[in-house]
Amino acid sequence: MADTASISCKDLTYSYTGGFGPALSGVSFEAGQGEYLGVVGPNGGGKSTLVRLLNGLLAADSGRVRVAGFDPATEPFEVRRRAGVLFQNPDNGLVAPFVEDDVAFGLENLGVERAEMRGRVGEAIRAVGLSGYERREPHTLSGGEKQRVALAGLLAVGPEVLLLDEPTAMLDPPGRREVLERVRGLRRSRTVLHVTHHLEELFDADRVLVLNGGRLVADAPPEELFSDADLLRENRLVLPTVPRLAVDLGLPFCRTPEELADAVEKRSRDNSGVEAR
Amino acid sequence: MRIELRDVRHVYSPGTPFAVEALKGVSLTVEPGEVLGVIGGTGSGKSTLVQHLNLLLLPTGGEVLVDGADAVSMDRTALRRRVGLVFQAPEQGLFAPTVEEDVAFAPQRLGLNEEEVRGRVREALGLLGAGHLAGRSPFALSGGERRRVAIAGVLAMGPEVLVLDEPTAGLDPTARGDLMGLVGRLKASGVTVVFVSHDLDEVAEAADRVCALEGGTVRSVGAPDEVFYDDLSLAPATVRVAAAVGERRPGFGRPVRYGETLAALRSLMGGAA
Amino acid sequence: MTAVRGVGQFYPVASPLHALDPRAKVVATALLVVGLFFVDSAAGFVVAGSATALLVGASRVPLRAFLGLLRPVAFIVALTFFFQVFFLREGPTLFGWGFVEVHEGGLEMGLLLAARLLILVTTAGLLTATTAPVALADGIEDLLSPLKRLRFPAHEVAMMMTIALRFIPTLGEEAQKISRAQAARGADFTSGGLLARARALVPILVPLTIGAFRRADELAEAMESRGYRGGHGRVRYRELRFRARDALALLLTILVVLAAVLL
Repeated sequence: MADTASISCKDLTYSYTGGFGPALSGVSFEAGQGEYLGVVGPNGGGKSTLVRLLNGLLAADSGRVRVAGFDPATEPFEVRRRAGVLFQNPDNGLVAPFVEDDVAFGLENLGVERAEMRGRVGEAIRAVGLSGYERREPHTLSGGEKQRVALAGLLAVGPEVLLLDEPTAMLDPPGRREVLERVRGLRRSRTVLHVTHHLEELFDADRVLVLNGGRLVADAPPEELFSDADLLRENRLVLPTVPRLAVDLGLPFCRTPEELADAVEKRSRDNSGVEAR
Repeated sequence: MRIELRDVRHVYSPGTPFAVEALKGVSLTVEPGEVLGVIGGTGSGKSTLVQHLNLLLLPTGGEVLVDGADAVSMDRTALRRRVGLVFQAPEQGLFAPTVEEDVAFAPQRLGLNEEEVRGRVREALGLLGAGHLAGRSPFALSGGERRRVAIAGVLAMGPEVLVLDEPTAGLDPTARGDLMGLVGRLKASGVTVVFVSHDLDEVAEAADRVCALEGGTVRSVGAPDEVFYDDLSLAPATVRVAAAVGERRPGFGRPVRYGETLAALRSLMGGAA
Repeated sequence: MTAVRGVGQFYPVASPLHALDPRAKVVATALLVVGLFFVDSAAGFVVAGSATALLVGASRVPLRAFLGLLRPVAFIVALTFFFQVFFLREGPTLFGWGFVEVHEGGLEMGLLLAARLLILVTTAGLLTATTAPVALADGIEDLLSPLKRLRFPAHEVAMMMTIALRFIPTLGEEAQKISRAQAARGADFTSGGLLARARALVPILVPLTIGAFRRADELAEAMESRGYRGGHGRVRYRELRFRARDALALLLTILVVLAAVLL
């Protein structure tokens, strides 16, 4: 099999020592270049384990993993310069006491030349909309800003793949919007694997994987997944209000109140039409 | 107990170049037995406001009345027992080896005897649906469980009013749902609940009344349908759906909660409207 | 709320002192500190003291930042001073009152020791107030790097410093949050004897420690995932440049120290 995919997993299995049963078992999927994949599922379903296996922070017990063409278990450094991870708590991911120094951290580790580093740091800070923040100290930033600094630190390295491990879980709604807006701007230019509990963040994803009990129970486009009431319930997935109303009313997938109002209107016209006849 | 804020102002670091006026004259009453939802963006003064309910912060202007009497002159410790305040991410404060011991911390400080303390602990854990966790280490629990145990730790003081600052922030949707279910249970057990939230859907589901803050002042306060339908920019998704339907079907009604909205839409679609 | 700029923290303004290479500043500070122990004349202290005062002026760091720095040591200075004044009985008696006698030698020693302490603290404060924490860590790493041959972990020490500087404010905020939360549960940190107060700190220290370990775990993961492999093959973002003015600053420092010691 040629490795044209950005991420490919085949029969991936991993158990934590002392854990009850495997955290992941027999997981197989692929993400092509520029694809945007969502990953959802209940806590303990294996989402975070998957991210850690893809970045070489953990090594699979069995199965085959390739990220950007490399095996993260045997060549973690090659993988890490091509695949960045955005973690849940931005407070604990920032290393340096100043924004610009933190953004440079990954480049420092790669041994990039200083002149080039300066340019890439500046560019990455601009790309997340934080120009002017270079000398700010992380603890003076809002959660959304911290997470954008962390994102800039990944972008500076210029990765092909971005692994997002619930990056908005600890943010307030404005912070969440800020981060999502920046992430959305990266669609198509990178391969993204986005783990989240907030299904609305994945409305525009190409595919969504559902992990439950360490198994991949679904791999489908969001519209299909989010209108499958049984699948949602079995995997303890909670839809946002608008599509949830649509599902409960037996209507097709809707994102916005207007879409739903139109669908309701259409359906009630049809129904009264039927009755009138 | 009824807590009344009258034209309350609060300035942080007054008289310094860093002075910030977080509350600019807020008047608000917390009625006994109600569930009051406080909404507003970052910097609207929500967190400052709730800390005035038990005088953890003192107003720099205006007054706080408890059952009609000036609260500033009351015994502060007693007031803080009657008004329990749960900060954001309260699980950060869990420290004892077992859940039971942690929840017992507050009632022990009240000087209750061992049996009374145990009773309080059981009751608080029970209300939060965490009775089965009593013997566990608080550090081995899930995020949602830890949050519930931490809230039980304040509830065990036996407060008449429980103030929750962003109780569901950082939890996954399932844990959020569980926690909001508790607000109803607390109310049924006679506790007045004030809760601050960014999540309008949550407020719509649980609040009897809503207070919207903006820039340190009250933008609107009242029954959920009044507040939400008056200004759709403050409204939860249910209200925005109903308003969009109402534009096409005048007289659709003003549902707020999910169940009401679903029922109203169903009956419209069934042609019964 | 607004973070309080702590005593002895970096004060970001533009000044000739801020512009110096951190290595020059670390070495100069070390020279001054060591030199001070050999200064034993009033004239020497006048030289050292006025040099320090000039540097404080040149640093453009407000005086109150230094006063804040001196407040905690004021007690020790006062104690040292009075101890020498009242108990060192050397030289002619200046005055006697019952069993209290003040001798010239004691007064002199008291003044010298007090001056030494004050200059010492101010000098150290100058270094941290005019040097960005990252630059300070980089400078120390460079100065220690000859020891790498003796397997001294110079890079690791500098990295530890950087991380400590990054997380001190975060942990400070967390400590504040936790103590507020415990106060809401009836914790009392202000009454009772020393033992009772120490015990009252347990509900703060335990969660703070556990939180710090969790942070450390997550930080280690984040650093690893960002390709950190220790100092090997690393290029530092900030370049330290030892310029003519740094050499000049060092030379001046050596002259001042020599003058102060020899006088």
